[in-house]
Amino acid sequence: MPTSIKMTRRDLVRAAGAAALAIGAPAIIRPALAADALKIGVLVADSGPAALFGPAQRAAAELGAATINAKGGILGRQVEIIFADAGASPAEVAKSAVKLMLSDKVEMIFGSHDSAVRQGVENVVKGKIPYIYTPVFEGDDCSSNVYFLGEVPEQELQKTLPKMVELAKGKTFYLVGNDYVWARTTNDKAKKYIADLGGTVVAEDYYPLGAPNKFENTVAKIKSAKPAIVLQTLVGGDNVNFNRTFADFNLSDDILRLSCLLEENTLIGIGKDASKNLYSSLGYFADLDLPENKAFIGELTKKYGDKAPQQCTISKGLYDAFVFAAAVTTKSKSLAAKDFAAAADGVQFETPSGSMTMMHRHTAKNIFLARCEGTKFTVIDTFAAVPTQQSCT
Amino acid sequence: MEALLFTQGLNVIYEALILAILVLGLAVVMGLLNVLNIAHGEFIMIGAYAAYVVQRAGLPYLLAIPAAALVCGAIGLVVERCLIRPLHYEPFETLLATWGLGLLLRKCVELAFGRGYRSVEIPIRGSLSLFGESYPAYRLALMAVAALVLASLFIWYRRAPTGARIRAMVGNPVLAEAVGIRTRELARNTFITGTAFAGVAGVMVAPLTPVEPFMGLTFIVNSFFALVVGGMGTVAGLFAGATIIGGLQSVLSAAVSPTSAYIAMLLISILFLWQRPRGLFPRP
Repeated sequence: MPTSIKMTRRDLVRAAGAAALAIGAPAIIRPALAADALKIGVLVADSGPAALFGPAQRAAAELGAATINAKGGILGRQVEIIFADAGASPAEVAKSAVKLMLSDKVEMIFGSHDSAVRQGVENVVKGKIPYIYTPVFEGDDCSSNVYFLGEVPEQELQKTLPKMVELAKGKTFYLVGNDYVWARTTNDKAKKYIADLGGTVVAEDYYPLGAPNKFENTVAKIKSAKPAIVLQTLVGGDNVNFNRTFADFNLSDDILRLSCLLEENTLIGIGKDASKNLYSSLGYFADLDLPENKAFIGELTKKYGDKAPQQCTISKGLYDAFVFAAAVTTKSKSLAAKDFAAAADGVQFETPSGSMTMMHRHTAKNIFLARCEGTKFTVIDTFAAVPTQQSCT
Repeated sequence: MEALLFTQGLNVIYEALILAILVLGLAVVMGLLNVLNIAHGEFIMIGAYAAYVVQRAGLPYLLAIPAAALVCGAIGLVVERCLIRPLHYEPFETLLATWGLGLLLRKCVELAFGRGYRSVEIPIRGSLSLFGESYPAYRLALMAVAALVLASLFIWYRRAPTGARIRAMVGNPVLAEAVGIRTRELARNTFITGTAFAGVAGVMVAPLTPVEPFMGLTFIVNSFFALVVGGMGTVAGLFAGATIIGGLQSVLSAAVSPTSAYIAMLLISILFLWQRPRGLFPRP
């Protein structure tokens, strides 16, 4: 090989090609490895009225993914979260969902947001991939391949209302809520339970959502009507505002209040002076004295320290979504709509608030009735595995 | 029934007076300087946070009033110097700029205090009995203070030389300058007064509402509508706007439903913007 030192033009090209391959290889190999990860789109409130929950939602979802990954992931693949903002209009969030599916290639979507956004997302996902909706909501949705982990009104009310009647020693109710589907549906369902109890609804008031509401008028009416219980379906700032006005008009000594969406942040806003005789019925409180919950909160404290965002039922549901998806896929061995649906029905999974069972795509779970003591919740009654009364097939 | 009517009557007066106090700062800036301060709600919010901080520090609540006026006035000073004056008090430019300012102020407060709700304890507890009907003492005190502030402002604006100077500046800035009125300083002081008023209004409403970075947005809407209906630059307009928007919302909300009250308010505001954009009592 006399001319071996000399590099021909062809050799040069070949060498350059090899070098390019060597340098470029990671870029080619990386996507191949990454395709192995199972991507999940998670819709959280980064903006909008619910943005208060955003950081806690992200923290719960990340812990959910980490917990599942430590146990081997889903279908033997590590899961990877891609967050998207659910605080925009339904049409905008639907666009984000399309992007998640088409360009990010997510294989599941988890979401914690309002029902209008959910319907927007359902319209674009069209049951192609499993969509797990986690917060408290009004029920009565059977869209295909959608799974509901949140509390429905039947769960919040069926066991809780009789208990409230017993505590209040009276059966007259005044209903006050925001003027939208969740509040109205919850109250319609409440009226049936109240009738079953032999109680009466003296009046109901609905306040526009997102408007600068004042509650003096309703409070004056409540003062005059003297109901035993005020059932509230107000959300966020209106919930705070109403309860502060109610207490300021000196009604909290004589009239009990039950809120259907009163979580830790809202209670801090209401404050200790306005929370006497105020009750909340939900599937989770951050102070629950359960070993599962202690572990959940403990992990978050370990990760974020004092800066751990305040958990509540709205955020914690996203953790449950990971546990649920892992439990279903262990049975189904696939994410295909049919297999997933078949495996989901009847699947039982362990969450920070105790064991849950998916039935007819809604979740039977523990419901806690808590009394506000200052700005903390004290659970006074636990109703185990409360059924949803939903009948999706 | 009579007891209920009496309480609802007080509620109507209360809503109108509270709204007048909330509008005041906006009315000063918009009515006299033609600057629509979209960040007005944020100044109210900062005032409310000032109240929160003062209360948390264990200081008397009354101290929150000068604190809020000082903080909001200082921010107002900087904003006037760096934003409003460079834009020559042009209505549209300053509208956009203060919109951006609102975003900035919200984010700053979010950074400092977080997104969560804060609650300010009611400084005057209990209720007072009026003709056999009890009404929360703090709200009664607020009504009294609001009425007093508005009345004295009315008298001051009519009688005091500063009022006359402002009227001169607004009427004819060039002539005002020529007769020795320092319009630049006058405009600056007027702007600062407006933001300080917003801060004090924030202190007054803080114990009644959830204190959070976005609370200002709920105040700006009604305040703006009250100005549109009442007319800008006159005390009569301020009273009329607050009474019509606040009172009507309260009456309809009690008599029909809160949602229709809100719709009625929007319709009236649209009607005014369309048919009588200068309001009921505009500056002549």
